[in-house]
Amino acid sequence: MIRIEQTGLRATVQDRGRFGHLRLGIPPSGPADPGAFAAAQALVGNDGAAAAIEVVGGPFAFRCEDRRIVAVTGRDVALRGRDVVAGWTAAFARPGETLTVVCGERSRFAYVAVSGGVTTEAILGSRATYLPAGLGRPLRAGDDLPLGNARVDAERAGRSAVSPDYDTGQIRAITGPHAQRFTDEAQSLFFSAEFQVEPASDRMGTRLTGPRIDARGGEILTMGVVAGAVQVPSGGAPIVLLAEHQATGGYPVVAVVISADLGLVAQRLPGERLRFTRVDRDLAVEALRDARAELEAIA
Amino acid sequence: MDDALAGRCRAFADAWDALGHGRAVPAYASVVLRFDPIRLPPSDAEREALRLARDLHRIPNDRGRVIEIPTRYDGLDLGETAERSKLTVEELINLHSGREYRALFLGFLPGFAYCGVLDPRILAPRLVRPREHVPAGSVAIADGQTSVYPFDSPGGWRVIGRTDVAVFDSAREPPVLISPGDRVRFIAL
Repeated sequence: MIRIEQTGLRATVQDRGRFGHLRLGIPPSGPADPGAFAAAQALVGNDGAAAAIEVVGGPFAFRCEDRRIVAVTGRDVALRGRDVVAGWTAAFARPGETLTVVCGERSRFAYVAVSGGVTTEAILGSRATYLPAGLGRPLRAGDDLPLGNARVDAERAGRSAVSPDYDTGQIRAITGPHAQRFTDEAQSLFFSAEFQVEPASDRMGTRLTGPRIDARGGEILTMGVVAGAVQVPSGGAPIVLLAEHQATGGYPVVAVVISADLGLVAQRLPGERLRFTRVDRDLAVEALRDARAELEAIA
Repeated sequence: MDDALAGRCRAFADAWDALGHGRAVPAYASVVLRFDPIRLPPSDAEREALRLARDLHRIPNDRGRVIEIPTRYDGLDLGETAERSKLTVEELINLHSGREYRALFLGFLPGFAYCGVLDPRILAPRLVRPREHVPAGSVAIADGQTSVYPFDSPGGWRVIGRTDVAVFDSAREPPVLISPGDRVRFIAL
């Protein structure tokens, strides 16, 4: 069990996502930065289906009842206990020791994984919190979260994973399914221009401003969408869909951010800039394969 | 909007789900096929999808359950929509509650069912300026379709009534009142 002492702005339990009910209109939810989430789980020795905690805006503090391996990942994060442990590094948690996630100025989504995984009750087959539909709730100070059993392998402490370069604004994307709705000029503008992240960005999507990207023919017939899809509403300001995206959407999709780079988009702060680089599907698959191989190496 | 086409999309999605590669998301005239590209290379996924498409005529369409939605027709847009359609309010209510709809697919919000097809005499384009707040339980119409808002949410459909029935309840199995393929009737109170 862990006891939550401070929650920061918002802390929620997340597993990799609720993909079984998309057809009922239920967004997948799960981590906004799937790469950081998976790395935290791998660092503490959990498998990919385990749940961890997503923290927005520190300080988030917790205490383990028994010996555990813990790790925090994300952008510009560290873990403070008796000592300060860098982000993306596994640490040994002593029983009763208070650990605080330190979120730096450039932090947005942080992931706290504990060996054994958080085993709160699954709803509709998943522990991914989705607040708008009341699937789970924000964590509160004083909450006790159950953990799964885990063999505590003290040797894990100090093991680390490589954080992606979150300060880069270079985002790789493949051509979208509705590319024919965009002129060649609009597409090349999309893949060369600099966009700025809007304050209204959230777990549902990263909203961008920049040069206006015009689609021909307005909206499309509503269809399923995926995280990473870059929708272009009629105003011409693109939105990159993230974990809490609606199951379907009615705006043309100009490009799809590759899975390996989703976290780079999610972790951009309002006011920061980004650019899209066009890559092909094979490269997108290779990048995902490389990211998985890195995780397997630390697991 | 085509009941038969949406039905084929649902059947295709069922067939994809049964393969176990990942979940499919059907809509009016499309199916998004999810899969792990490391376990199933995209070119293999394409081949599997084409094979399913060829055999699709063998998959029977779902019959769906009949879902009745008791409705108080007192929505904000009822009068204006009747006027625009050159109908009396009573005629509009009779047309809306007088036919059976098919839940073509769900999307937008958990449990939000795109149900078609409205009587063509009802003219209900989406609101030019979507509302910031549409209350849960609002019975609404737009572009030949009807639905019920499961949650308070922004929305651009025309609200013609409301129901007290819970459209989404995570403690229920299934959590949605209206499942894809169900037949839906609105009962005027």
